[in-house]
Amino acid sequence: MEKTPTVTPTVNRRAFLNTLGVTVGGTGLIGAGLVGGSQLLKAAQDPAKGRVPDTPFRTGHMTFLTGAGAVLGEPSIKGHTMAAEEINAQGGLLGKRKIETITADEAAGTDACVKEVRRMKLDAKIDMFTGVISSGTSPAVGPVAEELGLLTILTDGCTDFLFDKAIPNPKYVFRITNIQSSDGITAAIGVAQTWPHVRKIAHIHPDYAYGRNASEHFTLALERLVPGTEVVSESWPKLFTTDFAAHITKIMSAQPDLLVASVWGGDYVAFYKQALRYGLFDKMKVASTIAFGVAPHAIGKDHPEGVLAGVHSNYYFTYPGGDRWPLNKSFVQRYFKRWNEYPNFQSEGAYMALYLLKSAIERANKLTGGWPEDEAIISQLEGLGIDAPSGYLYMRPDHQAYKDAVTGFSKNLPDYEFASWDPARIITIPIRNITAPLGWPKPGTTHNESTAAANWIKTTWPKVVG
Amino acid sequence: MAFLTIQILNSLLYASVLFLIAAGLSLIFGVMRIINLAHGSLYAVGAYVTAWLVGRGIALGLPPGWLFLLLPLGALSVALIGIVIEPLLLRPFYRRAEEYQLLVTFGLIQILEDSIRFIWGGTPLSADALMDALPIIHIGGLLYPAYNLVVIGIGVVAALALWVAIYHTKFGVMLRATSQDRRMASALGLNVGLVYVMAFGIGCFMAGLGGAIVVPTQAAVLGMGIDALVIAFVVVVIGGLGSLKGALVGALVVSFVRTAGIQFFPELELAVLYLIAALVLLVRPTGLFGTA
Repeated sequence: MEKTPTVTPTVNRRAFLNTLGVTVGGTGLIGAGLVGGSQLLKAAQDPAKGRVPDTPFRTGHMTFLTGAGAVLGEPSIKGHTMAAEEINAQGGLLGKRKIETITADEAAGTDACVKEVRRMKLDAKIDMFTGVISSGTSPAVGPVAEELGLLTILTDGCTDFLFDKAIPNPKYVFRITNIQSSDGITAAIGVAQTWPHVRKIAHIHPDYAYGRNASEHFTLALERLVPGTEVVSESWPKLFTTDFAAHITKIMSAQPDLLVASVWGGDYVAFYKQALRYGLFDKMKVASTIAFGVAPHAIGKDHPEGVLAGVHSNYYFTYPGGDRWPLNKSFVQRYFKRWNEYPNFQSEGAYMALYLLKSAIERANKLTGGWPEDEAIISQLEGLGIDAPSGYLYMRPDHQAYKDAVTGFSKNLPDYEFASWDPARIITIPIRNITAPLGWPKPGTTHNESTAAANWIKTTWPKVVG
Repeated sequence: MAFLTIQILNSLLYASVLFLIAAGLSLIFGVMRIINLAHGSLYAVGAYVTAWLVGRGIALGLPPGWLFLLLPLGALSVALIGIVIEPLLLRPFYRRAEEYQLLVTFGLIQILEDSIRFIWGGTPLSADALMDALPIIHIGGLLYPAYNLVVIGIGVVAALALWVAIYHTKFGVMLRATSQDRRMASALGLNVGLVYVMAFGIGCFMAGLGGAIVVPTQAAVLGMGIDALVIAFVVVVIGGLGSLKGALVGALVVSFVRTAGIQFFPELELAVLYLIAALVLLVRPTGLFGTA
């Protein structure tokens, strides 16, 4: 019997981008959350019900304290610390329990990180674990946190693998940043929206899980949004490389229309400075998933304009801008006052992790009185919607947070000492339109794609024509 | 053709910096028989000090040309650190087993890396004013920053200067004598302690110079020293530890092979270096020019 060939449905690009809900101009604040959350800093707090102990609430925050990763680790600690200070200034959680933090260095390596999580729970008796940046660390410590019954809110380590494979049915582990696959997809949508005529594509990605994921999902999405592209050059520099001269020359020799990059942190700073002097930015469009993911002031005024400068699809401090979303305005002001710099997505994620916890604890307390058990906190965290500096944040019942994916174009504004985003060209995408829906089959069940997202795109996305 | 020319220049640029790091590492091993694991971190200190000095210089309104004088200053600051740590920290360990030397220099890595973060923070530090002080030249319709040629030039001059110093000066004779037989040299009236501190100082100066000249082209970032150390080891494994010629040839091999890897086998960029190192170890365990 002859097999009927499967026909991929086709659609017009503009119509498709519209169904994806892509908004340009930074005016959209659609919100992934369905529930209006409570304000972070309420003037008057409802008093806690019942007897609440006044023992400190101990958190263990793990992030890169040393090495090249510290460029993201520092903002993470700063966001966490600021949230703890603010909550403690109001008396602590439920007005009684002050947050105490012990830190652990993620640079110690995966095995050491796993041991450290055990030690923090068993010896240091932490009540909650937060942090983690690397996608290598989160799938290692996630299962251990589950085994220990340790309440955990990961503030990055956003690999799809964590909830696809490592802990497909999490009970104690939550994650507050957008899932990694949405990063590549967001960049692809940005490209399709802005430069639909690119055909020859060059790639440069750090040679590890994140770079592979970004490359794969970018390509998957772009194939559907801009058919007929071809990859003309690939580069896989080692993570934490700073010499990119040979990569840049190679990319330029292929004469692509577009360069896609997921090089991050200090690597990206070194990359763009070299690429600039070799004239790369004059020869092609550049789209990055995470160029502006570092602390904003790490990028210089020399950064070229018009680069699609992603922020891990999570948060950039100028969006939502102006007076439109006072929560972000005041967060950025307080952060600047406290640390004399602007926050990045790590700062916002680590900051919100504690406020998410606070909100869940308060809700649980209202129901039952007294200090809520972990079970009660978890049941409140699941499905919790809350207002965050980045917009509406919604914790899906499967423990992966949802917030609008966001990316933007670099521009030199007189307001800042560094290149930032063009306020008129910020792109937002409702996250539910670029992630596999709740309950979508995970890899190893009905399919063997690398991620649930990849399978979802291949199964449900139409192909654009024309 | 123009692309090929630029890739060759890129390779020479990388080789210059690698040579400066690896030659220092090799020199220190040749004279003191100690593997200084903190060598890469000293390179990073050179980069950070230079970037910081350039930043200060710009703030004080120094004209761009004068900023070039800050390069040797960055290197000298690392030499000074070396002159302090050799007699105080390392000398007590020369007679101990190698494990102790590795441990103490590994500890030094941690101290230096933490100090860098403590002093300069986690944000990358740049010194691109130096790069922009020189023109961008055109090579067959492509752009190439003239500053990179300066880096290549400094690498060549450093190699020549080191060669002259070791093989054609009295100090070089003392250095080689101490390297061959420390006790005999001492018995003949050589101030071995002074030779040690000078050799270590020169080795550190080279590492610091590598960091100083590379920072305008990239940026000073956390972890750059560890990355450099690993690649410097590949260089000395190929070239032979303790040999100046080995450091030069190793640096050239590593940088040309790396560039070829990037250009033709992007998936193997890193693996190809280790494959060559492994091959050399199999055929000539002491490296191409090593004697140890």
